[in-house]
Amino acid sequence: MVKKLLMGNEAFAHAALEAGVNVVAGYPGTPSSELVETVAKLHAAGAAQDVHVEWSTNEKAALEMLAGASYCGARVLFTCKQVGLNVASDALMSLNYVGTGGGCVLFVADDPGPISSQTEQDTRRFGSFAKVPVLDPATPEQGFAMMKAAFDLSERYHTPVIVRPTTRINHASTFFEVAEETHGRPLPEGGFQKDPKWVIFPKRAYEGHGEINRRLAQIAWDYAHDPAFAQFNEVFEGGGEGETIGVVQNGVEGAGASAPAVGIVAGGVSAAYAREALSLIEAQASRAGIPVPRYRFMAVGTPYPFPAETAAAFAEELTDVIVFEELDSVLEEEMLKLTGERHLPLRVHGKLTGEANDRGENTTENIAGRLGRFFDRTSASADSPREGGGTSTCSSNGSLGGTAHWAVPFAAQPAREEVPPPSRCSSETEHGASPDAGCGQAGSLAALVASIIGANNLGYDGPLPVRPPVLCAGCPHRGSFYAVKQALRGREAVLCGDIGCYTLGNAQPLDAVDTCLCMGAGITMAQGFAVAEPGKKQVAFVGDSTFFASAMTGIANAVYNGHDVTFAILDNATTAMTGSQPHPGTGVTLMGERRRPIVIEEVLHGLGVQHIGFANPHSLESSVAAARAAIDFEGPSAIIFRAPCIQLKKPDAPVTIDADTCTGCKKCITSIGCPGIGFDEGLRGPKSGTRGQAFVDTGLCDGCGLCTQVCPFDAIQGAVGFGGAAPVEPTIYAPNPDPFQTGPISGLTFSGEELECGGDAVEEGGAR
Amino acid sequence: MIDILLAGVGGQGTVLAAKVLAQAAQSKGWQVRTAETIGMAQRGGNVTSHVRMGSNGEAVYSPLITPGTADVVIALEPGEAARALPFLAPGGVLVTATTAIQPVTAALSSTPYRAGDVVAALANSLQAEASREQAAEVAIAPNAKANTQDAEAPGVEGYPVPLFVPVDDEALVREAGASSRKSLNMMLLAVAVAQGRVPLTVDELKDAVRARVKPQFVAMNLAAIDTAVANFG
Repeated sequence: MVKKLLMGNEAFAHAALEAGVNVVAGYPGTPSSELVETVAKLHAAGAAQDVHVEWSTNEKAALEMLAGASYCGARVLFTCKQVGLNVASDALMSLNYVGTGGGCVLFVADDPGPISSQTEQDTRRFGSFAKVPVLDPATPEQGFAMMKAAFDLSERYHTPVIVRPTTRINHASTFFEVAEETHGRPLPEGGFQKDPKWVIFPKRAYEGHGEINRRLAQIAWDYAHDPAFAQFNEVFEGGGEGETIGVVQNGVEGAGASAPAVGIVAGGVSAAYAREALSLIEAQASRAGIPVPRYRFMAVGTPYPFPAETAAAFAEELTDVIVFEELDSVLEEEMLKLTGERHLPLRVHGKLTGEANDRGENTTENIAGRLGRFFDRTSASADSPREGGGTSTCSSNGSLGGTAHWAVPFAAQPAREEVPPPSRCSSETEHGASPDAGCGQAGSLAALVASIIGANNLGYDGPLPVRPPVLCAGCPHRGSFYAVKQALRGREAVLCGDIGCYTLGNAQPLDAVDTCLCMGAGITMAQGFAVAEPGKKQVAFVGDSTFFASAMTGIANAVYNGHDVTFAILDNATTAMTGSQPHPGTGVTLMGERRRPIVIEEVLHGLGVQHIGFANPHSLESSVAAARAAIDFEGPSAIIFRAPCIQLKKPDAPVTIDADTCTGCKKCITSIGCPGIGFDEGLRGPKSGTRGQAFVDTGLCDGCGLCTQVCPFDAIQGAVGFGGAAPVEPTIYAPNPDPFQTGPISGLTFSGEELECGGDAVEEGGAR
Repeated sequence: MIDILLAGVGGQGTVLAAKVLAQAAQSKGWQVRTAETIGMAQRGGNVTSHVRMGSNGEAVYSPLITPGTADVVIALEPGEAARALPFLAPGGVLVTATTAIQPVTAALSSTPYRAGDVVAALANSLQAEASREQAAEVAIAPNAKANTQDAEAPGVEGYPVPLFVPVDDEALVREAGASSRKSLNMMLLAVAVAQGRVPLTVDELKDAVRARVKPQFVAMNLAAIDTAVANFG
């Protein structure tokens, strides 16, 4: 064993390898990508043996490939981000009915916030929809243990199992003890056993549904009683007079002088935030001499099927429970269901009552504030006659005035708080619980919390630059977007974007993305625009990795149905946004093999696209000409903008700005918005007067030379990247005479470029 | 518990700095957690790394630091220092580089972003807070973790007053050589350690650099640390 500092995703990879996983596959997506990369790295280093790892063309391909391997008895691991499961869902729904062979674990990373995603969908919900068990870690260490347990659970019941971490687990690091060398588990004798059960027919589906329902009931029992899983649903008590903080399992003993009346339920990383918040409240309350009520805490690490037995024991004798979880109100609804099923005299507080964030991330500070108010309110109502029925949360407070446990008026707090701003640096202190509002109220925990958080009196209220994510300096996408917009000048057009770095083409000044929906959607949406608004021109931008993942079917649709749209394929030889993963167009695999790449123009030709042009996006004039030719072509057409991602190449010499020529017109900035060019009001030159001048940030400039072609005064000097400015006559694809597409690749290619395929995002971290 | 927040702009190296701190904490036998910004937000965006060390044997639950409780905020860019200011504990240390990184939005905007204004405002804010705390006889808003703080630090009733350490990073880079710009993250770590509010020594920091940084860059980073300590020790 060796001790290593590992990011959550790296630790998950080690855990799966230690569990003897045989096949790992997925499609990149933040925050999930590093798991597959870690397996590939450990395999390349010889530490992970007897394992196959691959980036599949998309999530559906990955899961179906893994299903086959699982039928043979292999332990398999699928990885994706939350929206990736949408793509793989067709396979998952049926796979659950048919059942699995070797352990089949789906690692699906959710992204509350969202920080890098299109949706805030909750994979715990997906689990219950698909009737697939879900494990939900509160810390990376717990996730490590869950990954191993998930393989055992899968094999015990022949069910796929979802391990669902969230971004703060995926990207949090701590030290782990891991095996120095791992081996895939030997496959069972005989391999795949032919059996009618593997063929899904209606009758088989009916049988399978019964198997699913039976095993879900058994798994819920396991979650509550089998120590291998019950360990993930920790119950303990705290607060109050006594110091008895003991783990209570399977039937809560009424130990200690005072049994608690209030409870806290938390799932995922919210359990860590809630425990942190409780530590903070208890430490401060003890110093201030304010009592903290005795409480019971349940962390739910196995949300589906819900461990109702554990929850019932937890809820015994409680009057109020508050639930903290991110995304949907899954645990809260389960607690409500439990209350209804067992007729419990229990009030459940959470998202549905406006007492927890209804979306976005939770934080320690937000939970601390809400817990303070929850404790105040429940203490106050305990001192007064209980109001009749409902989930009253102390809406009338007048009668509670003189009590020792005075509640902060509920009316001062909006029923449903707005989502916190994306920056975590903004204060999330509670409305209506400012220090001033609370200080006069002796014994208020809400006021105490408000006095701790955000009480540093430090402030900066001046303007700060906003830093939206931007295309890198030298990014070839910048030239592609600019050229297409130039070629479209004077025409009404809709520009359909897609998922990848090039979504950033929406920002000013490029302003070249009118729509973005989901992977591959731009290709097909453009066709809908063409049908509905035939007078306009539609251009769909798609990246090379997205092309293979989900654009080809849409392109076939355009050719088949004769839609007059132009596909702008932004080929930068990598999956850039997620950290430079290889894909079918690179010819490189995670196992280190190299074979003839699948060539985008050959695919387009094979699908029947009649006009396929090429351009080097750094070469402005020829790019505009090539874009114009494709746009003017009647029927589906394509232009391939080809130049490598700057993360794959060495920077070229930065451009220079001639102080004698620069007029300070800002054209370079307002046309292409490259972060490598700034504007300094203090610079002076003969042509710029007192306006100031543009300057080059030589640390960022990649030397692509696009700006040299944009400056109307030739004030910027530098060579054009990726082979220089091309002749204006556009290059058109000439079909490869070999019908089986095995010959040399013609047209504009990456050959001769020394590209570094395969990301080292994990190693470099912040560099990307 | 020692909480250190690293703030900067994507590409400045907050992630590596967090790893080096985590390594140093691990070498002391402390539990440590770090959390970073990865993905879309880091492309020219503002990024933070949270480093949490259980320096008194406490359990560290959350991967993220709670606003108002960071013992040290290290900013690689002054605007990012201002953005991270709400995280600083009442008696915390703010170390910031003073050279601005201009985003494209600033070049497009009519209101320029001037680093000097931000640094001056930060200095005023921390000075005002320090004066307030020194003047106060009682009733200081208690630092959430004041009981674990180094009691020898100056201040009223054992609570240290906030400390502002602006670092002229251009001057440091001039002194340490042009290539040291890439070591700005390590230079600022060294400045923070040299302030004595973190129970780590410069030697422990250097050992962590040797353990975490690629071998070909170790010497460069160690030299940068020496330059920083010579100026801010």
